[in-house]
Amino acid sequence: MQPTLSKSHPRRSRLEPGGGYWIWYVLPALIMYCLFMAYPMLDSVRLSLYEGTTGARNFVGLANYVRLFTDPEVSARFWGAFFNTWVFFAYHMLLQNVLGMLFAVVLTNRTMRGRRFYQTIIFIPCTIAVMVTGYLFKLVLNPQFAGPTLRSMGLGALVKPWLGDEKTALHVISLVSVWQWVGIPTMMFVAGLQNISEDLLEAADIAGANSWQTFWYIKFPLLLPVIGMIAILTFVSNFNAFDIVYAMATPDGAPNYSTDLIGSLFYRYGVAGKHPIGIPEPGVGAAISTAIFAMLLVGVIPTLRATQGKE
Amino acid sequence: MKKLTALLLAVLMMAALLPSLVQAEPVKLTMGSWRSDDAEQAKGWLAKYKELTGVEIVFEPTQSAQYNATLRLQLDNGTGPDLMYARSYAVGEELYEAGFFMDVSDVPGVKENFPASALDGWQAKDGKIFAVPVSAVSHVVYYNVDIFEKHGLKVPETFEDFLALCQELKDKGEQPLANGIADNWDILECVYLGMLPNYVGGVDERVKYESGEKKMNDETFVKSLEDYAKLAKFLPEGFESMGNSDMPAMLALGRAAMFIDGSWTAGALLGEDYKDLNWGAFAIPAPEGNKAGMSFHTDWGMAGNTATKHPEEVKAFLAWVASPEGAEIISKAQPAGFFPMINAEIKLEEQHANDILALNEGKILDSRFVWAKLLDMYTPMVEQLNAIAKGETTPEAAAEVFAAEQAKILDK
Amino acid sequence: MSVKQKERKGRSLKIYNMHIPSHILMVLWVLVAVFPVYLLIINSFKGRMAIYSNPFGLPTEWTAQNYLNVIQGGNFFQYFLNSIIVVVVSLFMILLLGSLAGYGLAHWRGKIGRGVYFFFVMGMMLPIKIATIRLLELMKIFDLFNSLWSLFFVYIAMGLPIAVFILTEFVHGLPKDLYEAAYIDGAHRSKIYYSVVLPLIKPALATVGIYNLVPIWNDLWFPLIFITQEDKKTVLLAVTRLQGQYATDWPRVFALLTLSALPVILLYLSMSKQFIAGLTAGAVKG
Repeated sequence: MQPTLSKSHPRRSRLEPGGGYWIWYVLPALIMYCLFMAYPMLDSVRLSLYEGTTGARNFVGLANYVRLFTDPEVSARFWGAFFNTWVFFAYHMLLQNVLGMLFAVVLTNRTMRGRRFYQTIIFIPCTIAVMVTGYLFKLVLNPQFAGPTLRSMGLGALVKPWLGDEKTALHVISLVSVWQWVGIPTMMFVAGLQNISEDLLEAADIAGANSWQTFWYIKFPLLLPVIGMIAILTFVSNFNAFDIVYAMATPDGAPNYSTDLIGSLFYRYGVAGKHPIGIPEPGVGAAISTAIFAMLLVGVIPTLRATQGKE
Repeated sequence: MKKLTALLLAVLMMAALLPSLVQAEPVKLTMGSWRSDDAEQAKGWLAKYKELTGVEIVFEPTQSAQYNATLRLQLDNGTGPDLMYARSYAVGEELYEAGFFMDVSDVPGVKENFPASALDGWQAKDGKIFAVPVSAVSHVVYYNVDIFEKHGLKVPETFEDFLALCQELKDKGEQPLANGIADNWDILECVYLGMLPNYVGGVDERVKYESGEKKMNDETFVKSLEDYAKLAKFLPEGFESMGNSDMPAMLALGRAAMFIDGSWTAGALLGEDYKDLNWGAFAIPAPEGNKAGMSFHTDWGMAGNTATKHPEEVKAFLAWVASPEGAEIISKAQPAGFFPMINAEIKLEEQHANDILALNEGKILDSRFVWAKLLDMYTPMVEQLNAIAKGETTPEAAAEVFAAEQAKILDK
Repeated sequence: MSVKQKERKGRSLKIYNMHIPSHILMVLWVLVAVFPVYLLIINSFKGRMAIYSNPFGLPTEWTAQNYLNVIQGGNFFQYFLNSIIVVVVSLFMILLLGSLAGYGLAHWRGKIGRGVYFFFVMGMMLPIKIATIRLLELMKIFDLFNSLWSLFFVYIAMGLPIAVFILTEFVHGLPKDLYEAAYIDGAHRSKIYYSVVLPLIKPALATVGIYNLVPIWNDLWFPLIFITQEDKKTVLLAVTRLQGQYATDWPRVFALLTLSALPVILLYLSMSKQFIAGLTAGAVKG
């Protein structure tokens, strides 16, 4: 992830004779991707113009979108989930990714011992299935089951129905998710930092820069493409996140939709249908995804422009 | 070169995994189910069926939470199982309307062997039956017998007694109830809809609400919600984050004296984990002066896939399910708390199960109030019940919301 | 710099190199990270009631029953083998196809090239579940039900957008002098890919591999839909058998998922070696 491009070639690189040749390298991936992802997905986006679940579907034009934004019940759910997802995203962006960068800076220090050990430990939570993390945290956050132990340790103030309270549930779930996934940005930042030229860092050291200055003036600017990449990955994955809510707060985003994310909303409408009826509305689900897709594009394109791919 | 060998290896590995072509075999049917819990039992009774007929049926359960979603996808795609568990009322009916479930009205035994109340759960608008009724469930209060004996307490006769009992337990330092609202369903399905037949009565009264003749903010409903609110005062600390599967543990650990849940939980309570627990069950009592009712809910039926390659075998199997002999074999293999609906004397082997079934005697029985026609009430009801429990609304205000939602459904 | 200054710097450097604040930070986080893992492991050695009565404490009675039940019940080794095959084949193909495409797209910077790149990136922005209906149809057409092939295809396609996204940027960031040199030596592009690009992007390949490792290993949705046959089930699909309609056998789930985390950790270690090795061997000079 070395961002400094060599700009010293006045003539066109002979490796870049134009698109024609490169397509052969791209084609295998493109075929795979088109057949098993792009086509099924785009075709499903088309569903947002239809209603009905199984068998015959009726073309209804933009009715699903109209419903999504004007039907008081559906639009309240949509905007509620939209807002919650931003809160969820803020935790990952500001806490998970900053922690990840901090850990990575520490872990790429060559003279520090135990780096591999630390990094592996940081990654271990990622390996546990979300349904289990969800259940474990539900257990230790439950006043009835964790209460006695906590009280005996003088931590009675922590005995609260954290997941049952609309004011705290989303924050708790976000923190659990940050705890679980911080290993991913850490790993990506480590990969990015190790590519920074050692000469550059030595030069900074000789010039008398302290570690903060080295970080802020050298490492941070050089990490910008990685930061952009991680920001985009966090953004898109948070807007599709769903497992942790499912595991900790039911697919309804209980209590009272306070933990409902776009991902769980989509699951409820588009895939499973609301309990107990369980009749999905793929049209509305597709409309939700398409609307979010449009918003993600608005967020991703400028980030891509700002942080990478500059010619 | 190394890469090439690796690639070759991968290709070989993949080739080895190719589905082997299946040759003609004796008939083998597949059965979809949400009861992954009962996989072993199901294998047992399906093996008996094979002994009788030579037809093999493979039980392929899906995790309950994902059953509706995956079954629908598979049916839509023509890859659904030949036979499948069918939920009652709207959920099942929708699959029949979409053409996935067979019409089983003419299967021998279906019309003859079941009471109207059982068939009601699987009868479409056109009068056709789309699944053979198999099991019903009820909703009861489980209690820790040791705690009751320690304080010399008795099973309550009326709802007023029930509240007094809760108060007494609380005064004696016990936690009366273990119920919570975290899972967003049991507070409605087991607690409130379990209480409701004591107030509303049976199907004759229920249909008046379904037609709009009666409003859901009438005295009956306000009273039921008031009683629910009184009961909700005895929920445990942190009930907001207490889930359905936490309740039996609370009872077994002696941290609560009672909980209201479905009869199916008897099956879990009879398991190894709860072998030290001395438990009993009683019906949710009716308030003084009301006729006692009981929510006896049509839980699951057996449906056939219209797209099956073996319609004859499927129909023959369904006829067996609808026969007293078949129903007996199936019922006896069910976990405790799932009760047969067939008009036949079937003696269950488990004493606790018989005790719970006996609670039905002399009571008005009905399916869960909202299931037949008012299923759209489900979510608003859960929301109101949660709000009452948290003290955020009053029974009167909640009844107004009920009536408004009811009016909305009737307008459609 | 005077000699004295140098000496002082040398001494403080020694203390500096002990990285005391860094170790404090890491140890604190290790405690935070490990605590729930500790809970998972100790509770996998308890019975259900012991979990509820004190979820934090060590078991009063250690029991390996949960593990024995898991290993003896069902085709335990088959599930693990299936999961491992699925993950290894999918990751290998994602990295192979992704790096080829990344190499191509990093150089194909014309309008069409950028368009194709963006077309890949768009794939990250929609929930894959939305495509389930069509994927089912495809699997039916190719007759891939109850075959691990169905999972390979979906997971490879699912992993490609992120692989292309990361690898394209990475290859693009490599110093161009490297290619020029190779090119002047008369190397063909495929040779450059194999002998110049691949070794240099190892850390990025490891990143992509690890990024896709966890979601593929822990995916439940596609096995749930494509696989019903017992001998083709994956570990996570086997877990659902322990999750009943109303009650889940949590002690056994803990045991199974503790075991299930081990192959993932091993795969992680083998891949993360790539960039730790890079770290000590000295980085690419820019």
